[in-house]
Amino acid sequence: MRRGTHEKLTAGMVLGAMGPGLLAALSGNDAGGIATYSSAGASYGYGTLWMLPLMAVLLIVVQETAARCGCVTGKGFASLIRERFGVRKSALAMAALLIANTAVTISEFAGIASGLALFGVPATVSVPLVGLAIWLLTMSGSFQRIEKVLLMVSCVFVTYIVAAFLAGPDWGAVAAATVSPHVVPEPEYVSLLVATIGTTIAPWMVFLAQNNVVDKNVDESGIILQRIDTASGSIIACAVAWFIVVTTGAVLYPAGVQVADAADAALALEPIAGQFSTVLFASGLVAASFLAACVLPGVTSSAICEAFGWERGADRSWEEAPVYRGIITAIILASALLVIMPGVNLFQIMMSAQVINGVLLPVLLVFLLFIAQDKHIMGDYRNGRVWNVLTWATIVIITVLTIVMFVLQALGY
Amino acid sequence: MNYLSEMLKLPVIDSAGESIGIVNDLGIATGEVFPHVTSLAFQGPGKTPFMISWRKYVDRIDDTGVYLKVPATDIRFSYLQPDEVLLARDIMNKQIVDTQGMKVVRVNDIKLSASGENQLRLLGAEVGMRGLLRALHPALEHVAVKLARIVGKPLSEEIIAWSYMDLLERSTRTIKLSVSHKTLGELHPADIADIIEQLDPRLRGQVFAQLDTAQAAEAISEFDDDELVAEMLEGLSDRDASSMLALMDPDDAAALIEELDYEKAEKLLRLMGVKEERAIRTLLGYEENTAGRIMTSEFVALPATATVNDAIEGLKKLDEDFESVYYVYTTDPAGSLTGVLSLRALIVADRDARLNSLAYRDVVWVSPDEDQEDVAEEMSKYNLAAMPVCDENRHILGIVTVDDAMEVMNEEHQEDLQIAGVGGSEGSSGESMHMFSWFARRQYWLLIWAIASGIIAAALEMMGGFADLFIYPMCVMPVALLASSRVVSFVRNYYLEYDESDDEDKPYLAFFLQTALLGAVMALVIYLCGQLVLGAAYPDGIPVPAVAEGARDMTSALHAQLLSGCFGCAAAVTFACCALSVIYLKVLFWRDEHDLNTSGIALSVSAVLVSCVLYSIASVLLVFWFVA
Repeated sequence: MRRGTHEKLTAGMVLGAMGPGLLAALSGNDAGGIATYSSAGASYGYGTLWMLPLMAVLLIVVQETAARCGCVTGKGFASLIRERFGVRKSALAMAALLIANTAVTISEFAGIASGLALFGVPATVSVPLVGLAIWLLTMSGSFQRIEKVLLMVSCVFVTYIVAAFLAGPDWGAVAAATVSPHVVPEPEYVSLLVATIGTTIAPWMVFLAQNNVVDKNVDESGIILQRIDTASGSIIACAVAWFIVVTTGAVLYPAGVQVADAADAALALEPIAGQFSTVLFASGLVAASFLAACVLPGVTSSAICEAFGWERGADRSWEEAPVYRGIITAIILASALLVIMPGVNLFQIMMSAQVINGVLLPVLLVFLLFIAQDKHIMGDYRNGRVWNVLTWATIVIITVLTIVMFVLQALGY
Repeated sequence: MNYLSEMLKLPVIDSAGESIGIVNDLGIATGEVFPHVTSLAFQGPGKTPFMISWRKYVDRIDDTGVYLKVPATDIRFSYLQPDEVLLARDIMNKQIVDTQGMKVVRVNDIKLSASGENQLRLLGAEVGMRGLLRALHPALEHVAVKLARIVGKPLSEEIIAWSYMDLLERSTRTIKLSVSHKTLGELHPADIADIIEQLDPRLRGQVFAQLDTAQAAEAISEFDDDELVAEMLEGLSDRDASSMLALMDPDDAAALIEELDYEKAEKLLRLMGVKEERAIRTLLGYEENTAGRIMTSEFVALPATATVNDAIEGLKKLDEDFESVYYVYTTDPAGSLTGVLSLRALIVADRDARLNSLAYRDVVWVSPDEDQEDVAEEMSKYNLAAMPVCDENRHILGIVTVDDAMEVMNEEHQEDLQIAGVGGSEGSSGESMHMFSWFARRQYWLLIWAIASGIIAAALEMMGGFADLFIYPMCVMPVALLASSRVVSFVRNYYLEYDESDDEDKPYLAFFLQTALLGAVMALVIYLCGQLVLGAAYPDGIPVPAVAEGARDMTSALHAQLLSGCFGCAAAVTFACCALSVIYLKVLFWRDEHDLNTSGIALSVSAVLVSCVLYSIASVLLVFWFVA
């Protein structure tokens, strides 16, 4: 079975394969990610840095598994769940995905609203207009045309890397904090940990990673290239996150700034951009959130329709694929309405969505794990022991953290 | 016991009343229209799987379990036969092709029917909502069915009979399906192509590989999507791909080979028979979009002196896959085309009549360099089912048949529609125009207007806190936006009506002068409208800053100036857009020459955006200048 894996890897092939992983990594740093990492740095300094190398490893494990499943079976994750576990369990998995992704979409809308608020546009104006634009783009399928532009703009978060150096942190302390685990027994800290996991290893990224492979019809011989792609993408994503925490930890934490809204978070870019930090931060936030808000409803609806056998795809009309279009519309509408409601704290929404993501992640990981270690489905390419242990570890860690978080909250800390 | 979902997990009870396991799966014999259940798979203690013959051992079944005729000790186990399919493993939850509805669907449940004491037959696969609800929980189905009946839209079952399903993944399991089965292969190639387009890439390759070469060849020329075709060809082995291309009509094969990269194309051509290779290479020698590219070398031409009998005998000897014969052409001894006969003329004529006495002499023909569209137009003009293509000595090189001509017309029509902005680039044919997509296509300028106004306000605020003055640029902006969108539709119409056949230089200068004049007129009208509005707003005469006294007069004068200035801006931008619209025309022609599809909507959106940017910059500067 293991044929074709001995072909020579040329530099061109490797670079070519690295594309989708990088794109996914950069678009992974969306509104929720920025909010979570910023407030992690602002509230606990370098106290959460140790999470990120760990997250990089776990992200590689999860993404690699998903991509490998796609290579071997040529089917999407939703199809595999349905065919392996039947209707009831796939309904459970799809419900988890729907909730998690709706939460993330809400947080993207919150990101757009708070980013535009920095330009002085109130949420009641920006959200309906942007919601309409997103809806039209996803419905007409013409989103791909502007995808690249948005990606470029959302790359401004790479400036955090420069900002981290300009902020002049105590690199010794940073290095020490990165390698020494450190836990603060506060519900905020624990929920921040859950949120960090939820935003780094988001459920939708699993689906997206597998879909990418399936759409390109990569077979077993492409697994090596997929590994390079997922590994490089994951490491870069976590590196950017690490720099965000370092920057905010060096700038905001000593100043005692608690990140309560986007304006506070933007302050962290002051060392690099000065008075333009707000503009820089806001444009990046809006572009990244807009990008993810365009992708997410489609990914969710497509997975659900795939699992239940309904027609899907942006090229299908309302008559042909009513469910597909209906789900997308419902997610966008619900997200926009929730964000417009008076008195909501936009930044709080972005964070809570990541917590929901983190709490629901184990559900989908269990499915992924059972599929990846099934001999009938995966043949010779099923999970090795190390991979199983690491995935189980992720599942257990998140579950324990979730329980701890709820217990701490129930005890009223 | 009507559904597989209800059967699974039932206990299996032997004649002694002992439970020996739970039902895992059912095997069916595939040779019948409504296949019998022939074997029972169950899971014994310790999760051990067993399989036994249904006919031999099963006594009766009911809601409480499957009862066997014999005690557990007397059972002899069996294996899955080559003609058996396991319902839960191979069909349940899988994607199948509904060969009647021509759709790819997912099986939600399987409907069975009990006949007699212990007979069970497969009725079909349930693919509708009810199966899904039942699989979630039977109670859910009951509630939903009742509710639906109250609402007046009864929820019916969607059952696909065994004889109308094709299992997509059977190649991996090497299950032989029965003859009574209507499989994918028996459908019309155009329908096969439609179904394959609905599948995931991997499955596409597998299903395609199941078709025999002749079917594959016909199906592949029916695909709408060129990329898909190249993908399918890449997936085949070189030998298969090459023999498939050889089976196709040479003109279709040439069109496909063009999509491949050079090396692959060369390899495939070399693997072919000499005759086919030469035919395809000759066609590829002609330029793209000419008659030479779509003509077929399969035609019937006979010397004018031959008899009707010769012609009919000749036709009888032709290959089965010879492209449809519509006419017989006659040639003189030098091989030049002299006449044409329809098949009807041939059939009703005396057997020993000479062809030259029957043939119609005034033959219409085209040269191989003729544009495809012109050929199609000629064919429709002269009502021909095939058009001969000849060289300068009137030697026939091939014929263009009506199906290829229709395809050319269709493509041309689609392109025109797209540029006209009716069928979007993503619009599948036959899609009904939804209200919102109509809005998105025609009234998107509202969104642009709102966003641009916001940006203007923000820019004015940043330049010194004049955000409240943004109202003037904003209220005049739609004039400029709408004018530019109208101009683009003018350009589109001009382009569509432009007769391309003459190879002169494109009339850019004339067009420029025309649109510049139009722009000047429109600008004048807009400016005068502005003066009209001002006149109505200030009936006592428009305030002028020079004679203003006091702060209040100053403000009022400023506002009047702004309003008139914004109308001026709109007029100038409109004029500029009209004058520059020749660029859009140039873009259209350029893209047409490079064979790129242009979406009319994209064009008009970009035009509106350009005028929006121009106007915004102009008006912001204006406001700044007046205030400062």
